Amino acid sequence: MDTVLQVDSVVTRFGRSRVHDGVSFRIGRGEVVALIGGSGTGKSVLLKEAIGLLRPTAGRIELLGQDVWQADEQQLNALRRRFGMLFQDGALFSSLSVAENIAVPFREHTAMPEELIAPLVGFKLSLVGLTPDTGTKAPAQLSGGMRKRVALARALALEPEVLFLDEPTSGLDPIGARAFDALIRTLADSLGLTVFIVTHDLDTLLSIIDRTIALAGGKVIADGPVAAVASSDDPWLKAYFAARAPQSGRKT
Amino acid sequence: MDAPLQSPIHLSAEADADVLYLQGSWRLDRAAAIAAAVNALPLHPDRPCVLDGSRLQELDTTAGFLLFHHLDEAGFAADTIATRNLDERHARLLHLVHERMRAAPVKAPVVAPNVVQRVGKATLRMARELADHNAFIGELAVEAAAIFKRPRLFRFSETASQFERATIDAIPIVALVTFLIGVVFAYLLGVQAQRYGATIFVVDGVGLAICRELSPILVAVIVAGRSGAAFTAQIGSMKVQEETDAISTLGLSPIQVLVIPRLVALAMGLPLLVFAGDVAGIAGGMLISTAQLGISIPAFVNRLHATLDLSAVVIGLAKAPVFALFIATIACQMGMSVARDARSVGENTTSTVVQSIVWVIVLDAIFAIVLQRLDI
Repeated sequence: MDTVLQVDSVVTRFGRSRVHDGVSFRIGRGEVVALIGGSGTGKSVLLKEAIGLLRPTAGRIELLGQDVWQADEQQLNALRRRFGMLFQDGALFSSLSVAENIAVPFREHTAMPEELIAPLVGFKLSLVGLTPDTGTKAPAQLSGGMRKRVALARALALEPEVLFLDEPTSGLDPIGARAFDALIRTLADSLGLTVFIVTHDLDTLLSIIDRTIALAGGKVIADGPVAAVASSDDPWLKAYFAARAPQSGRKT
Repeated sequence: MDAPLQSPIHLSAEADADVLYLQGSWRLDRAAAIAAAVNALPLHPDRPCVLDGSRLQELDTTAGFLLFHHLDEAGFAADTIATRNLDERHARLLHLVHERMRAAPVKAPVVAPNVVQRVGKATLRMARELADHNAFIGELAVEAAAIFKRPRLFRFSETASQFERATIDAIPIVALVTFLIGVVFAYLLGVQAQRYGATIFVVDGVGLAICRELSPILVAVIVAGRSGAAFTAQIGSMKVQEETDAISTLGLSPIQVLVIPRLVALAMGLPLLVFAGDVAGIAGGMLISTAQLGISIPAFVNRLHATLDLSAVVIGLAKAPVFALFIATIACQMGMSVARDARSVGENTTSTVVQSIVWVIVLDAIFAIVLQRLDI
């Protein structure tokens, strides 16, 4: 299995506080991996470092065979076309309609003829489970769940190999959240995507994740299948998974 | 088949069906070639069609969509298309694409409104804005009355901090602008006056113009751009973040907490800024009179004493709180009426500055006419 993302002893400091203190892991092609950790353990920071938005203090990050922080702007742009990023609140462009939001990557990065873009945008919308008439709306008119789906459609527009998701289910109701999880898994399986999710959501973890990486105290404290991580001795992990125990007990 | 630039698709008519061989890489970066090749196929929608994946290397949803989109347009019913020899991953992807593209895309109706519609829309919008302003002023009056009844509700420290930001921090820019206008005004007036040997009258002109008209107007315009825009942006982004709702749920009134302190701070601050503007503007005029027109500083001050009516200064200062109330009310109301998105904050901020400046000029004209009639 070839490596998609390789994080090598990454250190991050903000002023005097040390967020990452030698974080290392790798993600292979086709894996659906979750990064968990308490608030303030630098999950989102790590995500930003992996996609070239924030420079780590030290260490190496290699995405799709390219060292992100050694790449020049041109290499970085080539790389950016090969991954998609779903921001926490969607980050849709509020001055554009939904359809125009999804059309942006096609207009900017492909030679797709205009008459094909409209049907293609309609298709991308239905790919993420929205009706094509959503396209005429403004992002401000959408619910949180719909905004995330539109953002997912935009992230998937250029057929990325890797998809980064920052808290994809936060702010969604449980039904919407599970539906979004299922959508991500279906797309990951059908499109052969590698998915890297930063999440707090235990249900996401238990339903669609192949492998979990847990961050605490600036280091990776666990890395493995969900079941293995869940049975870890680490106090934070124990508490995290225990938060769910009573309910899963009732279920069986 | 081993040629790299082979056609993405090959049609071969077999006994019971047309077989479409998908060849090579079917990816977004070859979308144009794929679309062209698919368009060029001689298709027979009445015959069953089989997609053969034995020569397919890569496939993504865009390419899959282009294929089905064209087959659909050519008139193939969904159930007449079969697949064979597809790699399991490609089959899953094609299935997903096919399943998700039943719904026809909706195109946004493009409406280009004509002149009458535009004028009508703009009129209605303006009427709505005026009604909103009206309602806001009413609300403001109610809240202000509540504060008069219970003065403890007045937020002194918030008012003081707004006063500092809107007034004290604005002194340098106000002084600079009015100083330069004083320079320009005295210079132009001096050039004319020198022809008649009447240079001393420059002092009269500078004093009157700066104190009565220029300083109040310039200061109001600067404050509209500076504090008015800031008020709208501050309150607007609080609105976007639902902070104003939080204030309401805590049993406080957003108008009392946010609007009234700003209103009071600006109404108190603007006359002071106008006074600073008066001083700086006259200093600018004095600089030019001394350097260019040969009027000594004592002579300038004496002449100013003799000719500048107190009433001119007082009128200039008295206009300021009126301007301030309009600017602050417009700015706060535009802030409170921001919709929940980032674009709206920008639009309302722009609107605040434009409306404030227009109102300042309109008010100034009204003042000029009324005071003229009253012979002041």
